[in-house]
Amino acid sequence: MIAVPLAIFALYFLKLKRQPLEVPSTYLWTKVIEDLHVNSLWQRLRQSLLLFLQLALVALAILALLRPGWEGERLDGAKFIFLVDNSASMSAADAEAGSRLAAAKQRIAALIDQLESDMSAMLISFADEPDVVQEFTNNKRLLREGLDRIQPTATATRVRGALELADGFANPGRITVESAGAEFDATEQDPVDLFILSDGRFGSVEGFSLGNLTPQYLPIGTFQARNLALTALSTGRNEVRPDEQQAFVQAANFSDEEQTVVIELNRDGALVDATEVTIPPGSTAGATFNLGVVDSGWLRASLTPPAGFNDALALDNAAYAVLDPQRDARVLLVTPGNPALEFALSTDRARRLAQVEKVDPSVLATDEYRNDALTDKYDLIIYDQCAPDEMPQANTLLIGRVPPTEEWQEGASAERAGVPQIIDWQRSHPLLNLVEMGNVLLVDSFTVKPPAGGLALIDSTAGPIAAIAPRDSYEDAVLGFEIVGADDEGMTINTNWPRMTSFPNFALNVLEYLAAGGADAPAQSTRPGQPVELTLRETRNDLSVVKPDGTSRPVEAPSRGKFIYNDADRPGVYELRSGSEVIRRFAVNLFDRQESDVALRGRQSDEETLPTVEALQIGYTEVAAASLQTPVRKELWKPLLLLALVILLVEWYIYNRRVYI
Amino acid sequence: MPNDSSSPAPAAAPPVANGELLDPKLLAQLERLELVTRKIFRGRMKGERRSKRKGQSVEFADFRNYVAGDDLRQLDWNLYARLEKLIIKLFLEEEDLHFYALLDASLSMDFGEPSKLRYAKQLAAALAFVGLVRGDRVRIETLGQKPSARSPIYRGRHSAWRMVQQLEAIEAGEPAPLHEGVKNFCLRNHGKGIVVLISDLMDKQGYEAALRYFVAQEMDCYVIQVLSQEEINPDVKGDLKLVDCEDADVAEITASRPLLDRYERTLTAFTRGAQDFCTRRGMHYLLANTQTPVADLVAQQLRRRGLVR
Repeated sequence: MIAVPLAIFALYFLKLKRQPLEVPSTYLWTKVIEDLHVNSLWQRLRQSLLLFLQLALVALAILALLRPGWEGERLDGAKFIFLVDNSASMSAADAEAGSRLAAAKQRIAALIDQLESDMSAMLISFADEPDVVQEFTNNKRLLREGLDRIQPTATATRVRGALELADGFANPGRITVESAGAEFDATEQDPVDLFILSDGRFGSVEGFSLGNLTPQYLPIGTFQARNLALTALSTGRNEVRPDEQQAFVQAANFSDEEQTVVIELNRDGALVDATEVTIPPGSTAGATFNLGVVDSGWLRASLTPPAGFNDALALDNAAYAVLDPQRDARVLLVTPGNPALEFALSTDRARRLAQVEKVDPSVLATDEYRNDALTDKYDLIIYDQCAPDEMPQANTLLIGRVPPTEEWQEGASAERAGVPQIIDWQRSHPLLNLVEMGNVLLVDSFTVKPPAGGLALIDSTAGPIAAIAPRDSYEDAVLGFEIVGADDEGMTINTNWPRMTSFPNFALNVLEYLAAGGADAPAQSTRPGQPVELTLRETRNDLSVVKPDGTSRPVEAPSRGKFIYNDADRPGVYELRSGSEVIRRFAVNLFDRQESDVALRGRQSDEETLPTVEALQIGYTEVAAASLQTPVRKELWKPLLLLALVILLVEWYIYNRRVYI
Repeated sequence: MPNDSSSPAPAAAPPVANGELLDPKLLAQLERLELVTRKIFRGRMKGERRSKRKGQSVEFADFRNYVAGDDLRQLDWNLYARLEKLIIKLFLEEEDLHFYALLDASLSMDFGEPSKLRYAKQLAAALAFVGLVRGDRVRIETLGQKPSARSPIYRGRHSAWRMVQQLEAIEAGEPAPLHEGVKNFCLRNHGKGIVVLISDLMDKQGYEAALRYFVAQEMDCYVIQVLSQEEINPDVKGDLKLVDCEDADVAEITASRPLLDRYERTLTAFTRGAQDFCTRRGMHYLLANTQTPVADLVAQQLRRRGLVR
């Protein structure tokens, strides 16, 4: 580049090639020019002024090329990965640029601007799922276009997937080359700088090794962000009047002061009721709305922040729920006789949940049963002291028997183990929710080992004695022990469990989880971005899903009654239609306290200092947050180029006016 | 007295494009004119002009007392008879006029359409013809002439064709500085008369030194500066290297409106300066554009300046 000014200098010494023209006399011309030369100092200055201007122009251009700048991050390295959080909390409007995502984009754009031609960068957005927006490239245009493509989502934050993705790109699988008996690591391991732009609304990432990723955490957002959110909306029967429905709304206050909010509930777009709720700081408050006798429809609860409250996130100020005609689940109980179980399945509550049909095991051989078992008629079939020849198209619970499939048979013991003592059980599993097994005594039991993907529910001294495992779209639960059995003398008692309060609980859990689970699941809320699973009773054609924003998209006809919808990315009520008839509705809600609590997590070492942003914990590495005030790198090249342009104009003017002066 | 009959070199045929130096129409116009001088002059021969000198003519001028040495033939015997005093009778003398046309035939005069030199020749021919018709003595000289080389003197209408031939023979390309040529002219010719210098005055050394020689002369001086259209209003464009046709001097210019304006001002200043210079020294100055017909120039502008009448 130094050659350019030298070349200009050299050009200055080269005379302008002039057209020769013979004239009678140069006498007058010389006089004309002499007149100009009267102030020849000026002239020389003007000549050199042009030179000076040209040199200044080139100098400015060179300076602009050198990209001078100060403050801010300066990229140093060869490969960069930008992880952009576009989860729900990034929509919080507490940044100067508007939303946090916009602020993050701005910072990345500034970083992209600094990329040199030998640097390459990659863009990954992450919310609940990571998305490679742009693979490694040194093409800034592609990166900027990718950046523009990143849209805010309404989903929760799961950084792990993004980290794994980045790790996959940064630490490619090692390739070893075997040569003359020695192995060499053939993969080049370039250090990669990882920029995480997030508000840090996620927990620490356990057991993750960053490898040659050098992380930098650029926090986006403020400590002062305040938010009010609806964190739950559910419906249920009125306890007093079972035929009436109620809606429960929970609102949370993520601010430092007590807030009084107005919560409105709309059913099918019409206002049902509104109430004022006062929420203590950092806490939640609930409100109950009586809906009366309703069989279907959808609910929308909305929260209105008090005047003057700067609500950072608007996304979580509405909640949706769907009221579906209650349809009782159908349960087939196949048992030679089990009073305890029959009683447990016939309580009021159980009857509300499911319609239980009891048959004798002899039915298993009939065509009618086979037909029903194959046509999805029942939601749950309970085989007590018996087992089918073939597993039905339904969820099953086998008591004292092991399913006839190979996977189950392999894991089960051939003999019953005598007096196994229960050691532990999966308290967190819905089937054992509120079920206390510690005082349950057993006479004998098979040990069952669930096939792959299954889970041992109850462990005993003999081994697992209860398990659950998925089968296609169904689940099979197996109790290795009978509740009552039969021997030559008649009925035998195998356990004292029916005498415990946990037994009816278990029975209810079975009905809720295995029988009603399929039917009632949509009534529960789904998080944005998560798949929605619906069971369709009848085969329908011409299916389409209408999103909350009114757009309709045809969907493929489901196979075997199950319909999975993967595109529920915004909160709201979705409608599944067949033609123009609404078949089902399902609600999608954020309901995520982590996302709704939008303020940056700070760490304050003592009273005096300003709080700093909590570091990210990734594996064993603590990634300290960059300063919040880290300014965007200030670049000079634009003003420099502008100045160069001005100089060019001045030079042009002087050149044209050069006879004067 | 110079030899009238020593005719110049045989005339080359004039360029057809430029036509005759003197066409009949112009001649008819010129016939009516006459050269005038305000200076007291002394002709060599008796001419058609009345001289201030008392001499021998039929026109009575004055009387004066006889002093010793006077020509006794001029005594007025009638008065002597009456008054017995010797009185001499003076008569006005009629003389002829010397007219010199001094042409600049340098290379620079060869420019323009018609060329300045051609124009100068026409002008000289016209004025000389006026002189010849009135019986004046006419001499055509150029600046490049050697100091010793004398041009023939023409007299009488019958000499017109020889005068024209001499003019036609003059070709551009005489390497003569203005002041050198004028100086030589002045050395060669002294005495009274009218001298008309026809030049573009574009001399690097300036015209002042040259014209000063005329001051010392007793002649009635006319300086006619001939400029072509290209000089008065140059049509140049772009970056040019102007080459002087005489000394190959180079002036580099970048033609632009302001530069041309400046040239125009310089030219005006130059001509104005020349005019001032001449006026202050009793000379007559006239700027002639080659686009102006010679007839107009002679009949109007020169008449206004009193060269002809």
